[in-house]
Amino acid sequence: MSPARAGKTSATTDSTTDTDRTSRGDKMANGKAASNSNGNGGPPRIQRPPAEVRFADELARLRESDSGDRPPGWALSLQAARRFILGDEAAGITRKFVGDPSLIDRALVTLATSRGLMLVGEPGTAKSLLSELLAAAVSGDSTLTIQGGAATTEDQIKYSWNYALLVAEGPTRRSLVPAPMHRGMAEGKIVRFEEITRCPLEVQDCMLSPLSDRVLAVPELTGDDAMVFAHDGFNVIATANTRDRGVNEMSAALKRRFNFETVFPIADFRTELDLVEAEATALLQRSGVTVPPRRDVLEVLVTTFRELRTGTTERGDTMDRLSAVMSTAEAVSVAHAVGLRGWFLRGDAGSADDIVSCLAGTAAKDNPEDLARLRRYLEQQARSRKGKQWQALHGARHLLPG
Amino acid sequence: MTATFIGVRHHSPACSRVVRSTIETLRPAYVLVEGPADMNDRLGELLLGHELPVAVFSSYRDDERAHASWAPFCDYSPEWAALTAGRACGAQVRFIDLPAWHPAFAERQNRYADAEQRYADVVDRLCKAFAVDNVDTLWDHLFEIEPDELLAERLDAYFDLVRDESPAGADDTAREAYMARWIRAAIQEAGDRPVVVVTGGFHRAALIRLVNGGSGGSGGGAAVAAGSGGGAAGVAGSGGGAAVAAGSGAGAAGVAGSGGGAAVAAGSGGDGGLDDVGWPEVPRLPDDAIGGSYLVPYSFKRLDAFDGYQSGMPSPGYYQRLWDEGPRGAADHLVEAVVGRLRKRKQPVSTADLIAARTSAEGLARVRGHRHPARADVLDGLATALVGEALDVPLPWATRGLLRAGTHPVVVEMVAALSGSRVGRLHPDTPLPPLVHDVTATLERHGFDGAAEVRLDLTTDDGLARSRLLHRLRVLRIPGFVRETGPTTGVDPVLEEHWTLSPVDTRLPALIEAGAYGVTLGEAANAAIEERVGPSAGDVERLAGALFDAALCGIAELSGRVLTEIGRSIGASRELAPLGRVLAVVLGLWRHDRLLGTARSATLGAAIASAVDRVLWLAEGIRGGAAPADLARLGALVATRDAILHAGPALDLDRQGALEVMARVAAAHDAPPDLRGGAFGFGWSLGHGGEAARALRGAGTPETVGDWLAGLFALAREALLTVDDHAGGIAAATRPGEAEPEGVVVAGGVAAAARSGEGVAVGGGAGAAARPGGVEPDGGVGAAARQTVAAAREDALVAHVADAGGVVVAEMPADGVGRVSRERLLDVLDELIGMLADHEFLVALPALRQAFTYFPPRERDAIAGQLLARRGLAGSGRALLRTEAPPEVLLRGHALEADVDALLAREGLLDPVAIGAASDVPEPA
Repeated sequence: MSPARAGKTSATTDSTTDTDRTSRGDKMANGKAASNSNGNGGPPRIQRPPAEVRFADELARLRESDSGDRPPGWALSLQAARRFILGDEAAGITRKFVGDPSLIDRALVTLATSRGLMLVGEPGTAKSLLSELLAAAVSGDSTLTIQGGAATTEDQIKYSWNYALLVAEGPTRRSLVPAPMHRGMAEGKIVRFEEITRCPLEVQDCMLSPLSDRVLAVPELTGDDAMVFAHDGFNVIATANTRDRGVNEMSAALKRRFNFETVFPIADFRTELDLVEAEATALLQRSGVTVPPRRDVLEVLVTTFRELRTGTTERGDTMDRLSAVMSTAEAVSVAHAVGLRGWFLRGDAGSADDIVSCLAGTAAKDNPEDLARLRRYLEQQARSRKGKQWQALHGARHLLPG
Repeated sequence: MTATFIGVRHHSPACSRVVRSTIETLRPAYVLVEGPADMNDRLGELLLGHELPVAVFSSYRDDERAHASWAPFCDYSPEWAALTAGRACGAQVRFIDLPAWHPAFAERQNRYADAEQRYADVVDRLCKAFAVDNVDTLWDHLFEIEPDELLAERLDAYFDLVRDESPAGADDTAREAYMARWIRAAIQEAGDRPVVVVTGGFHRAALIRLVNGGSGGSGGGAAVAAGSGGGAAGVAGSGGGAAVAAGSGAGAAGVAGSGGGAAVAAGSGGDGGLDDVGWPEVPRLPDDAIGGSYLVPYSFKRLDAFDGYQSGMPSPGYYQRLWDEGPRGAADHLVEAVVGRLRKRKQPVSTADLIAARTSAEGLARVRGHRHPARADVLDGLATALVGEALDVPLPWATRGLLRAGTHPVVVEMVAALSGSRVGRLHPDTPLPPLVHDVTATLERHGFDGAAEVRLDLTTDDGLARSRLLHRLRVLRIPGFVRETGPTTGVDPVLEEHWTLSPVDTRLPALIEAGAYGVTLGEAANAAIEERVGPSAGDVERLAGALFDAALCGIAELSGRVLTEIGRSIGASRELAPLGRVLAVVLGLWRHDRLLGTARSATLGAAIASAVDRVLWLAEGIRGGAAPADLARLGALVATRDAILHAGPALDLDRQGALEVMARVAAAHDAPPDLRGGAFGFGWSLGHGGEAARALRGAGTPETVGDWLAGLFALAREALLTVDDHAGGIAAATRPGEAEPEGVVVAGGVAAAARSGEGVAVGGGAGAAARPGGVEPDGGVGAAARQTVAAAREDALVAHVADAGGVVVAEMPADGVGRVSRERLLDVLDELIGMLADHEFLVALPALRQAFTYFPPRERDAIAGQLLARRGLAGSGRALLRTEAPPEVLLRGHALEADVDALLAREGLLDPVAIGAASDVPEPA
């Protein structure tokens, strides 16, 4: 897989999760980058440039003012990289990731050691965004990406050949097409491996020698080209989904070469509510809805999502978790749909009834068990809550299909 | 003369260092400490030379409220440093806060809890500005591991900021006013010599204002110097470079202000009007109240176990090391302790892991700008290196609060290592906790001080009182008191207890230890039981044990906090069966317990209400199609129904909601058949079920019908026995005033009579169904069901009355299209079973037998009699239920006969149709 292709793949996969946890600032920067490149008659605008482009000015400013020690091969010091992700209001750096700051500390320190970084967590917890931001901060380049999947082969990880040249010249440096791992080691950059557990085990294991010996052998070539030694700054950020646990378990040997960091859904209710409100408002504006979503309706929505996600109510009762992904990103899209329904069907800001209508599609999907769990939640948990919107939610329970 | 105010965070080693060095430098005349003023006469007791941690335990009880609280001290407590350093330099040391029993402390159990709940917003903003996880990490970052230079100034700036932006409640205001009076008096007494005031940081700014304001009129020569010199504005974060004041410009100005305006005039003479000059009085206990304060041993584990707004600084084990050896030593020891614990548990920790952990910790410290690895740095490093898989719950030091279920075992060991296991011990000369005297005297009074075998009759007042005494000792784990026999559930008819008493050496230490729970035996037992309720989340059996112990000890009412805990614990349970058992027992106690006196107690009421909610929630979640009947699960439904029936109005249970849930379960096709039957019976027995016969027809196949019936009979077996089709249905359908459509309602008797002539083929199965073995129904269930029978009969009576007044026409539709809409359940069952093929019947038989075990023998007789009557056969129902030969022999005989018949038929010696009919006839033995 060529690097350009790899970059594009990452951009398209990431765009599905890009509402997740990106702050308002991210969106603004996004819009600014986009409007710059989309003048009259200019080139078609890129849907989602990589992080180092989106935040180019912030990275430049951080580099200028960076006084800390840089680990060899790094574009920024650890402290500056930390500020890039966690934000620094005084310096005009936006906060790009909502979560425990200590997670970022640990991730950065791991990248400076000889172990790889493995980000694990539920789907929709912004693991990919975090890996992109880390790569952009550490290497200034987040495009060395391998997208894991059932069809991923070693070629797409290490290197492949330009077959026309291979036939004409035989195996030479010119006919070799480096894949992300080859480039990352030669150039001393961070390589991102998305969804590593979705690759077959034997493909995963080709990461062993680059991670432990820090060397990649190219047996077809001779001389210096036959061995690619990793330069300073090379490391690997892999992501894996806990929902895929057991699809392709990683080997113990590979596990040992990674430090595991679990990315959790946003712990704080208020933070999540604020984020959903900001994102939904922005999306609604783009969709031509002029009223902002109602805060009390969003509160009910976010609470519902959090409780179904964790399987625990605010009071501490345990329930069954939904098997569907109830991420913040999903909450934003439901909030968006609620606003659209309210505005275009009735001309208001959306109500608890709309939440029920939208939940069936997003939360229950086609899973009858989830639908039953959702129904039970609406029947019994919503019933006992105080507040007008909760009562409305309970009252609208018959809107669930089936 | 000047007063120096030091604001501290309780249990902070950094603050202790400031306190100690300030006192050693200033050598003040008075050291005033936030602590219970009623202990001032007994400070000597505190300084006898105990092994810390110890605590001042205070209790209070009057007609309206009861309260117990602790003021714990450990080596590194700033208050302890103030006491010891003050005493060492010859200063007068005084506690200056209100006594613990004062209403201002009504909500507090831990005097030295953090106040940060009151300034959560500011702390949130600070955490964001410094990019740290929570207030504990922030605190470590700013104060604990930083060197001591300008530490006092940084502390003052921090506390001024949080106080400026957070309101103080009425309780705080009352305490501050009282403390200010002590300070003014001390300033006046001290003359030219300095005074040092050590209080919670939250109070510092207010106290300075109060002391200043209260005496401002005279403008004498004394000055009150605030501790902050002028470096206040220089509180800069060393890591991120962000200032404390980031995000709050006003706060920053406030900090600078308090720094600059530190020296203020204080009144020296007091030119009249100031009637509070002179030492303030220590509030005296109200006359009708009992209580007091005593020294008790304490432990790190308990210090760490406060939760929520009672919590203080976490991880006492770590901070003890920090105090003893400094941040480097504490970090090393932490790693050592964690690895030691893990290896003891046979968890592999390799040298490579240790190196990785050390490297990470050092790296993290550097990123975060720490000279030495702080608590969270070491923990983060260990977690990074040792946890090689996805976590289920976030790391506890990132979130605060108690450990959550599902925490990674490695992380659990890490937290245990932080917490430490130190247990305090009082100096031998310390006056014994009053509990020891109380217990000794009581035991002597009852003659329980020697070895003895004791039999107690619980029906006498004296026996009950003695039993309570012994049970209280038992729940406090005082050795030597063993109960051999006695009531185990509260509803069993055991009226006598048998105890074995044996005096042992370990009794006195155990009593001293238990002294931390209370002053009197009753209080102590109460506190011990409340402590057990807390961590029982989800474990309802354990909770039930605690509640029953409370009943045995004669503690009728537990505190409101415990009621909340009970609700939470029940809300976390996942299994219907244990919950049902607990609910049945608790309901039994609530309704009938005259013996122990817990009938109608609010504690049990709260447990019942939570359990009913939870049963309904769990019942609706059970899916998964056909499964054998689960009798324990049905027991839960029975208990819930009884709770709704008997405690519903008194406890305000949601009857309508329960009926709706059960209606949904009864109609859910993927729910197990026993649960559906039970849910149907639930509604039926409360008069909202619908028609039992029709529901039975819908209950499905031979495999499930028996289980469905088991459910129904568990809750409403009278559905089969009532002569009318069913009582509740009529009651619901014919409420007076409601018009009935004609020709729909047919009295069950008429329908039965009309049908008895039909000559329905006599099913051998029906006889067999009514032929269950002699299994007796479970006593408890039977008793519960019997009560329900009585209730249902009342309903039925109402129905009859309604019938008489309503427009009920007994009439068979002539056209046969609108079939009889109300059928007798027994008839339908008989019909269904009669239609089963032989092998289907054998499939259905075990479950049917089980279902009929819910009927006591007499009712089974009645059923058998009705079956015979249905066929127009005379004879005794009892005879039908008893076979002289065992069933296997009968079955073999049956098979033999079938073979013979087949042979005869093949040879053309018999008419096969006649044989078929004949072989189906039940054989009364």
